Amino acid sequence: MARTGQIKQGETLLKLEDIHMSFGKVAALAGIDLEVKKGEIHSIIGPNGAGKTVMMNCINGLYKPQKGDIYFKGERINDLSPHSRAALGISRTFQKIELFGGMTVLDNIRLGRHIHLKSGIVSGSIYVGKTKQEELESRKFIEEEIIDLLEIESIRDKTVHMLPYGLQKRVELGRALALNPELLLLDEPLAGLNLEEVEDMARFILDINEEERWKVTCILVEHDMGVVMDISHNVFVLNFGNQITDGPPEEVQKNPDVIKAYLGEEDLYSTRR
Amino acid sequence: MSSVWMPCGDYHQSYAEDHGWWQTRFIKFKMLLLLAVIFVIIPQFLSGYVMSVASMVGYTAMGALGVQLLIGYTGLVTLGHAAFIAVGAYTSTLLVLQFPWPQWIMDAGLAYPISVLVAGVFGGIWSVLFGLPSAKVKGFYLILTTMAAQFITVDFILTQYVSRIGGRGQAFSLPPGTIKVGPWVIDSEREVYYLMAVILTLMVIVLANLLRSRVGRAWVAIRDNDIAAETLGINIVWYKLLAFFVAGFFAGVAGGFWVSNTAALSPEHFPWFWSLWLVGVILIGGVGSIHGAIFGSFFMVVIMELLQVGVIPLADYFPKLLMSFASLKEMAFGLAICAFLIYEPNGLAYRWWQAKNYFNLWPFSY
Repeated sequence: MARTGQIKQGETLLKLEDIHMSFGKVAALAGIDLEVKKGEIHSIIGPNGAGKTVMMNCINGLYKPQKGDIYFKGERINDLSPHSRAALGISRTFQKIELFGGMTVLDNIRLGRHIHLKSGIVSGSIYVGKTKQEELESRKFIEEEIIDLLEIESIRDKTVHMLPYGLQKRVELGRALALNPELLLLDEPLAGLNLEEVEDMARFILDINEEERWKVTCILVEHDMGVVMDISHNVFVLNFGNQITDGPPEEVQKNPDVIKAYLGEEDLYSTRR
Repeated sequence: MSSVWMPCGDYHQSYAEDHGWWQTRFIKFKMLLLLAVIFVIIPQFLSGYVMSVASMVGYTAMGALGVQLLIGYTGLVTLGHAAFIAVGAYTSTLLVLQFPWPQWIMDAGLAYPISVLVAGVFGGIWSVLFGLPSAKVKGFYLILTTMAAQFITVDFILTQYVSRIGGRGQAFSLPPGTIKVGPWVIDSEREVYYLMAVILTLMVIVLANLLRSRVGRAWVAIRDNDIAAETLGINIVWYKLLAFFVAGFFAGVAGGFWVSNTAALSPEHFPWFWSLWLVGVILIGGVGSIHGAIFGSFFMVVIMELLQVGVIPLADYFPKLLMSFASLKEMAFGLAICAFLIYEPNGLAYRWWQAKNYFNLWPFSY
């Protein structure tokens, strides 16, 4: 099922070189370099407004950086539209849930299979033979690989906008996974979840990263430091568009600049207490 | 697209069953009964008047299905659908009247069916042309560009230029016998009705199938959240144009069909009000459902017929009523839409869904 990728575990999958992105006079990203290796969970952290989501949008193609290059599997993808990047195997979830509210859970996930299906208006309108076959195969895939993994069997026929927040987050992850991505961008998958849901979600992320079946490289934007430090292989720290550091969690935690950016100045921090 | 709950004890045992249309034996029976009513009972046992009303319902539904696809499923609000119907009607008429058909096609009675198909394709292309702005604009602005389609097509191109082809002045008329499908000459209410029933059934099949396959899901995704759709690999512009094409195709075929009913054609058949009417039809029937478009057409046409029947006896006392029936009709239209928006914004299709659920669950309340 895995795409015939030339990229092996541990080789560079995604590379950002000197990315600049500004909105008017506000520099949202000022010269970012990021290298994501295949098979890792690479987290991006930083205070609110640091530019984490802008970075995701640049990788994903919703924003086009004014300067700098983005390489995916060695290929420059700056000029590709989001949908062609999806076809290359980049999938994402959103910070604010962006599901298709009027569709059922199953249809949302089915939609994630879009790039793997072939039917057009003629074959689709007749719905026999190949179209029917591919719909059945895609359904089998969804049921066995995604719905089973995410434990959402009981809600598959529910309309999405009726579901509680935690389940919506899960459905969104399922939809992104249905693409069978090589790189998965997770924008705050844990925000707003309760403890149990956070544990579940962290387990799902680990599963899709580690299981032989998936082996998906993840870029994770998250505020929950406990989870980030536990599950990431590398952590990238961003502050107001500037790159502070990038490295394994143990190093990042000791970095004084990170402490400054995240917790404020030491004395300020102490006076608040 | 929430489906009706299955009755207790009915289970699906394969994905194919779950993807099917008629999922239980009862539904199968019900739908076959419906087909029998449409194809046997109405044309064989009811009067020509009923059939002509039914043809009108069908014609409205053909247009409304296209509008439903654009507004209800893809979220592209259109107020110029009559233009595409007009394009279809004119294309098919001109082809039937002016195209040098080879004799064997005329003999086989294929000229009209081919013309209708070409009219569909032409309507689709015309619709895509006016759908191009949808790549850039949304919502309110798109409404204006589709309205432009109406005025440019009907009021300008058709009225000023196309109607003059052949030097007939404003109207085309199709001589008896020109509209022929195979060996059948379409010249009575019954034949028009059959033609309508076949075309409408095919359209419903096509649309329903599209909506359960890749293309239809992409349309609904664009309606619900276009940014997310884009990031999941859907080329939004392409699918929007595809929606315009299919809707225009339906409109073109509807126009081609309508010619068989009137046997005459002039631009007044496709006023801007007709575009608005079709939007009203889907608002009343229920936005985002195929049976909504059909319920809405049924409701609107039948209400108007009843209104007409009701007005005739009153005309003795208020002679002005008959003369200004057009404005009465518009009033009733406005009133019906207001009433539905206030009391049942989900339309008749939702009521139908509720009723079905009620009976599926009966005698329990949930």
